[in-house]
Amino acid sequence: MKKLTFTKRMLSLLMVCGSLTFMACSNDDDPVIPELEVDVDFDNDNINDDIDNCPGAANADQADTDGDGIGDVCDPIDNGAAPTTGATVVVDSDISADTTWSSDSIYNLDGRIFVTDGATLTIEAGTLIKANAGSGVNASVLVITRGSKIEALGTASAPIIFTSASDNIAFGETVGTNLDQNDRGLWGGLILLGNAPSSFDGDAESAQIEGIPSDTDGDKGLYGGLDTADDSGTIQYVSIRHGGALIGQGNEINGLTLGGVGSGTTIDNVEVVGNVDDGIEFFGGSVNATNLFVWAVGDDGLDIDQAYSGTIDNAIVVQGNISDHALEIDGPEGSLAGSYTLTNVTLIGLDNNVENGEVADFRSGATGTNSNILVTGFTGVGTDLQLSDVELDNDGVAANYTAGLLTFLDWEIVLPTGVATSSEIFDDRSDIGSTFEADAANFSSAVVADAANVGADTSAFSWTYSNTKASLGF
Amino acid sequence: MKIKLLLFCLTVLSLHSIYSQNGIISGTVNDGEFNDVLPFANILIKGTTKGTTSDFDGKYVLEVAPGIYTVTFSYLGYGTMEISQVVIEPGAEQIIDITLNQLANALDGVVVTTTISKNTEASVLNIQKNSVALLDGLSIQSIKKSGASDIASAIKSIPGVSVQGGKFVYVRGLGDRYTKSILNGVDVPGLDPDRNTLQLDIFPTNILDNIIVIKSATADQAADFTGGVVDIVTKDFPTRAEYSLSVGLGYNSTMHFNNDYLSYEGSATDALGFDNGLRDLVLPQSVETPVPAENGARARQLTQLFQPNLKALQEQSPMDFNIGFTAGNQYNLNDDGSKKIGYLASLTYRNSTEFYEGIVNGQVFRKQDQDRSVLELIDDRTQSGNLGVNNVLISGLAGVSFKGLKSKYKLNVLHIQNGESSAAYIRQDNFNVNSNVIFNDALTYTQRSITNVLLNGEHANEDGSWKVSWKLSPTLSKIYDKDFRTTPFRFNDETGNFSISPSESGEPSRIWRNLEEINIAGKLDLTRKHKLFGRDAKFKFGGAHTLKQREFIVDQFSHPVQSRQGNFSLGFGGDADQVLAPANIYSTNSREGTYVRRDSNVSDSFDSEITVSAGYLSDEFKFSDKFNAIIGLRLEKFDLLYSGENQDGEVFDNANILDKMDFFPSANFIYELNEEANKKVRASFSSTTARPSFKEASNAQIFDPVSSTFFIGNINIQPTYVNNFDLRFESYGAGTNFFAVSAFAKTFQDPIELSFIREARGQFIPLNLGDAKVFGGELEVRRSLDFIPGWQNFSFNANVSIIESQQTFTDDEAEARRDNLREGETLRDNRQLQGQSPLLLNIGFNYDNNENGWQGGLIFNVQGKTLEIVGNGDIPDVFTLPFNNLRFNLSKEFGKEKNSKISLRFENILNDKIESVYQSFGAEDQLFSSRYPGQAISLGYSYQF
Repeated sequence: MKKLTFTKRMLSLLMVCGSLTFMACSNDDDPVIPELEVDVDFDNDNINDDIDNCPGAANADQADTDGDGIGDVCDPIDNGAAPTTGATVVVDSDISADTTWSSDSIYNLDGRIFVTDGATLTIEAGTLIKANAGSGVNASVLVITRGSKIEALGTASAPIIFTSASDNIAFGETVGTNLDQNDRGLWGGLILLGNAPSSFDGDAESAQIEGIPSDTDGDKGLYGGLDTADDSGTIQYVSIRHGGALIGQGNEINGLTLGGVGSGTTIDNVEVVGNVDDGIEFFGGSVNATNLFVWAVGDDGLDIDQAYSGTIDNAIVVQGNISDHALEIDGPEGSLAGSYTLTNVTLIGLDNNVENGEVADFRSGATGTNSNILVTGFTGVGTDLQLSDVELDNDGVAANYTAGLLTFLDWEIVLPTGVATSSEIFDDRSDIGSTFEADAANFSSAVVADAANVGADTSAFSWTYSNTKASLGF
Repeated sequence: MKIKLLLFCLTVLSLHSIYSQNGIISGTVNDGEFNDVLPFANILIKGTTKGTTSDFDGKYVLEVAPGIYTVTFSYLGYGTMEISQVVIEPGAEQIIDITLNQLANALDGVVVTTTISKNTEASVLNIQKNSVALLDGLSIQSIKKSGASDIASAIKSIPGVSVQGGKFVYVRGLGDRYTKSILNGVDVPGLDPDRNTLQLDIFPTNILDNIIVIKSATADQAADFTGGVVDIVTKDFPTRAEYSLSVGLGYNSTMHFNNDYLSYEGSATDALGFDNGLRDLVLPQSVETPVPAENGARARQLTQLFQPNLKALQEQSPMDFNIGFTAGNQYNLNDDGSKKIGYLASLTYRNSTEFYEGIVNGQVFRKQDQDRSVLELIDDRTQSGNLGVNNVLISGLAGVSFKGLKSKYKLNVLHIQNGESSAAYIRQDNFNVNSNVIFNDALTYTQRSITNVLLNGEHANEDGSWKVSWKLSPTLSKIYDKDFRTTPFRFNDETGNFSISPSESGEPSRIWRNLEEINIAGKLDLTRKHKLFGRDAKFKFGGAHTLKQREFIVDQFSHPVQSRQGNFSLGFGGDADQVLAPANIYSTNSREGTYVRRDSNVSDSFDSEITVSAGYLSDEFKFSDKFNAIIGLRLEKFDLLYSGENQDGEVFDNANILDKMDFFPSANFIYELNEEANKKVRASFSSTTARPSFKEASNAQIFDPVSSTFFIGNINIQPTYVNNFDLRFESYGAGTNFFAVSAFAKTFQDPIELSFIREARGQFIPLNLGDAKVFGGELEVRRSLDFIPGWQNFSFNANVSIIESQQTFTDDEAEARRDNLREGETLRDNRQLQGQSPLLLNIGFNYDNNENGWQGGLIFNVQGKTLEIVGNGDIPDVFTLPFNNLRFNLSKEFGKEKNSKISLRFENILNDKIESVYQSFGAEDQLFSSRYPGQAISLGYSYQF
């Protein structure tokens, strides 16, 4: 009996100890951060990659004539003497007073930068802006808020370039060598927000722009208002490359985002290359834009929403390997109506994108005119040619077509293989139906490449990076 | 090693069940004057000289030979109670909790004689009866009767209490913001970083002593009492050596042994509630992730460090099981038994598996924007699929207590370890903002732990007129979301191909979130018995100090796919495990493939610190023999310090963003309507507060990759102030018969609600909204059916709460609603409070036969239609629909001393679904979410020795 009691006491003690041991053990579950192996030397030049000025090619001497941090072996363009100008200016806080970015410097955009409080940001011709990597709310973005202005005054010979900090483009250059049109999402984008009317859900007057989370103490991400003639400044000869950092599904940053931008704003000669999301997206507003070039973006080339009511004249969209629609055109979200004009446009498909690339999608009550449009280089897949079609997506847009609110005039099609007539690529997907497909025989015609009578005037794009990079010969 | 040790403990102990010859009578003597224990009362076995006195805790233990006795309880100036027919069996324990009442005119010789109450529920009713504050209790006995294995399911039988998601308790249907849970009277941090309250399903019932739900505040309660407090009281130590072992199995016909169950490969220690490091953060913050164009070799190397399995795999689901073990004993340190030391230890393991086939979650429906005569909602996003969840919970409790005649010390260590792993494969169809079909593999693992130490001392002077109680309770709480992986593929129904399409579907992403919270609570209460208006009164005063520190760190990564020719991700064929397959990781030769990019953001992470210092005074006294009152005043100083960075780079370094000092008055009255004191009226008023959580009072902009929504903190948020009014009539009948009817009202100044941001879809922010009001009534009945011949073992209990809530719209909300009214619809000037249920109903039929050991119950719970998400713009309100939950349980005690018990439980007999819907004027309801909990049977066995 006594022995048993002793055993019991001992065991009880064990129990307590056991519980405590368990607790102690399971408390040791802090994440153990593994020592990262940095001893990697890809090119076997005995200089580890993290300090190698050219990790992809052996250069034991680390020669870097121009002192730009990129070894000569990797840096074939600029092996000359170190430049006397081109110092880097880091921009990491909001711009709330008038500021000029001079072409003598390289501007390094770090994080989300708002031009705010009515300030004007002037960017001289030839200025190079390199934005840091980061996505989500980290993305480096330049946002011109309502009431503030950008005066980006590039020229054909000295365009203003927005690119990634990873781009090896150097001061004085217009083209880097390490990135191509398939390098996307390396920074955010350029966002212009204005006070012009836009059509929102429930007729709200303003809305938060896609890609920017709300801030609790202000309205810096809002766009829309009542001033049709609002002036957000000037964007001329600007090339925007490798951006489009992603926040999440359906929440991305376009190359150039125009939210409620008014007709007092000047936008001409803009190029967007290799953006994750759309090339140029017009959220409402009334600004006119000419000479737009979009190449190899991950989503739509030109995107129109929320009753944008300006004119887009002379534009080219060249699809890339993961592009979606060349044109994606939506209508109003609220009761405010507005019609756009799209004219002199060339849409160029790419043979190797047979997955999601389509010519154009007209959706949700779009209203506007679409004239002098050339479609070339698209590939038809499947019996419906669904990957190279021009679609009326729903009943709202079909009704607008029937009512004459959405019009098509002078489309020329370089026929995809297996397609006999130009009207075959026009597709009414609505339930209510329309005469769209039948009318296509009248408003469209087949042409052979190089013999087109409509489309963009390519000579306007000889200044672009795309022209150089893809040897387009414009 | 530790597992082996435990197994050893279990095996050896189960071999040694020992029976002593004598039996034990034990229990607590309560003071009928106050809601308090009665120390130093005399307990005597009638007709013998064998007796003892209650200790300063009111507790007593008496060892007697087997037989049938009458036990007498007496105390100077109090009526004597005699309990007859006390049967003592060898080795068994008979618990008698008793309440002695003061004699009105100090006449002696009044002896109340009764037979031993068959159910100690009566003693919980006694606490309730004698408390001036309004409270409801749940004894461990009634928890056992409900067959529940955790508090969250047990608590449903308390009136005005409902449980959300099986975890969070609402008092009177108020949201968790207005309900607070405390452990042994002190604050402990919750397991869910987004909630103010504790998650209750982590507490196994075998470590509980009781649960008290307090509905009206007194000055000794913290001011953030808000609308109600749930106090979880763990066991002290038993009166004699006691060991128990329990095992249980649960089978759900739709969830278990299902070959479609989804899971993914976890770590070797997942079954023990923690990850062994397999899912640890791969890249510390100091390591940058270059894009391939910058340094392809490095990009490749870093990408290879990540766990490559991203796919939810099909396998057969196991069934639920649990095992629990408790041990406890007490030892006399001196001959007269006035000094005792005792311990209690418990260890519980629970492993449960859920599988939801065809679960619907996060669907989006909208109102037609252009044409308001269209009433029906338009689908914008549908989302459904399969979800498998495995949950492992281990809790260990070890407590040592020392009790002398005038002092008591207690040291309690509680550790709860929880690991939850889930795998889902979900199809999403988008129709409007985007137009596409997305298939998503989502793998998650969350590891939670709470370690709480409670050091508690209580002291009394010679005559018990002074009492001092102090508590010191540090808690460390950790929540690690470890490597949440989502892999979305866009499906092209025309080509039949899957691709990763960043702008449409997002990119494969993974996220780590670490939350650590240290909470140190200290409390000192002093009680002085004195005379006021010539009657006994109790003056209570004291102070408390709480320090909470939270650190929250987020690390987020994406896996972009670099393509050169065509779309590289087409080659994955929609198989998530191909994304990081060796051949598909970025290659410096082809310059194509998957790489890794860091996405985390400084403004996701923050450090916060809260300090609360409090002092209070209260007096419990009598205006007359029948009219008691507690009147008190509390002063609290609250500070919230915040360190973090906002999106604009503005840095907060220990900035004091909330600094409040407020008085919180409270008054509770109780009036006895008759001599027997079994009919009473209570009235109370109290002023309380509800404070914003750490996350709410922050600058954080937290993106949730699973729901694709943003939480935006509000650094300017203010606490809510609440005024509470209560009125209750109650009638105590024989035994446990009880009837109560109550009315209550609450007014909220600056209530905090998570709101949509009108201009920004999918972004939420906590805001102080317009004032709100809540009022309602409660009815509670407990009735033995002994008035029907042959039904003396049956009882019936029911409680119902009907609550009306009114939340005034802010200008923004009113405008957004007005702009989206349908034709013929008018706008009211208020709506329901979010999360406030308009109806709570609990009904139970119970059978309890002490002689043959059979117990059974048929229990029904339902909650009214509740506003779950406040609509915004063209998105209508989402309501949780009533879930009609009917359960049945049956148990049988057997063995010579009824020390074995088998219990059986059936869940969801009505086979209902849990659903939330969009509701809009004149439109058909559309699903927001839906899951089918299946019908479960569980079988348990427990053995005491």
